[in-house]
Amino acid sequence: MSQKQRVDQQPGFVLHTHPWRETSLIVEVFSRDHGRVAVVAKGARRPMSALRGVIMAFQPLLLDWSGGGEMKTLVRAERCGGQPLLAGRALMCGYYLNELLVRLTAREDPHAALFDAYARAIATLGRGEPQEPVLRRFELALLRELGYGIGLASDSDSGAPLDPRADYVYIIERGPVPLPEDAGDLPATSGQTLLDMERDDFSRPETLVQSKTLLRMLINHYLGGQILQSRRVLKELLEL
Amino acid sequence: MSSPSSLDELIEALRALPSVGPKSAQRMAYHLLQRDQRGAGRLARALAHALEVLRHCERCNTFSETDICQRCANPQRDHSLLCVVEMPADLAMMEQTQLYNGLYYVLMGRLSPLDGIGPRELRLDKLLARASDGAVKEVILATNFTNEGEATAHVIAELLAARGVRVSRLSRGVPVGGELEHTDSGTIAQALVERRAL
Repeated sequence: MSQKQRVDQQPGFVLHTHPWRETSLIVEVFSRDHGRVAVVAKGARRPMSALRGVIMAFQPLLLDWSGGGEMKTLVRAERCGGQPLLAGRALMCGYYLNELLVRLTAREDPHAALFDAYARAIATLGRGEPQEPVLRRFELALLRELGYGIGLASDSDSGAPLDPRADYVYIIERGPVPLPEDAGDLPATSGQTLLDMERDDFSRPETLVQSKTLLRMLINHYLGGQILQSRRVLKELLEL
Repeated sequence: MSSPSSLDELIEALRALPSVGPKSAQRMAYHLLQRDQRGAGRLARALAHALEVLRHCERCNTFSETDICQRCANPQRDHSLLCVVEMPADLAMMEQTQLYNGLYYVLMGRLSPLDGIGPRELRLDKLLARASDGAVKEVILATNFTNEGEATAHVIAELLAARGVRVSRLSRGVPVGGELEHTDSGTIAQALVERRAL
């Protein structure tokens, strides 16, 4: 476990940084082949540090690090490719994605498919495309990649294919079941929405609205009571 | 082998400084007491005095000995321009340009959603009130060009635009006297995105 290892030219993104000691940073990295790792960027806060302009969130980087413990030492970081800086609302969305990764993924648990989904999401946000479908796609990819088995194609009671015109209730860790008569204020999701989500089609406005409610419920469940700071900040901003 | 409690207390107190751990605190305490007692006395008096007289300027939020700091009270300055910066050090840098004659607002921080620093922690309501006092015609956002600085600028811009205040942002690009060959690719990429017509 603790033998010295060196990782070279690893694609990764910075999720978050904390100041460490006088001039260094602890950088939370999401890498393609090693998942989320914490690295120390020594001297990264010095005025002339070559790392200063490179250690930035939402930029595709190539990283070299060494060390076998929980905390690695960053050896080198360079930009790879021209991702425009996120601005405005897209930037706030980016923070939300980063916080989901920090809170829901385990350290050093590789998720190459999730990494690709994240890179695509950041690139799409950078191009200024509509943000809601990007967030929904990523949330769904995250839950599935973490192994929460989100079934969206069939009735989890009967196993029958979903009827696009019927309404369903999504039961956590089971899947969609037909909306009971006495559903009360359980959030109903149409079969069409669930099938759209399964097909990765977020073009219908109703799909966007309903999938947001559904995914939020699922994410809150798996967060287990942790509060998403980025969501709280966004909510406070809307109240100003 | 226990040390006198006043020494322990001093070491513990020095740890309030950022990035000072027990070892550094001990080193500082020994230095002040053994090698530089006059310096220690000056430090103690300066700290006590500053704590007593300094407060935040009602208008620009920076440290001031009066309710309204000298800069904000100066009638020679342009009261229609308000420049928003993160920290007093940024204000000092803007002043060094000797090009800006407007007023300032110092946030004393930046938005950082992942650390839970939001509009409430930053007291953005105070800035909004300041910027909509009627005299301010333009707000210049001079927060840092980091993600947090950008997020802060975006949020303030949206809030002020909704209140009908003109908002601008410092421009960014290749540094003055800079050669492309020695400029980092991120800066060049951004300069290309934000290029302007001549």
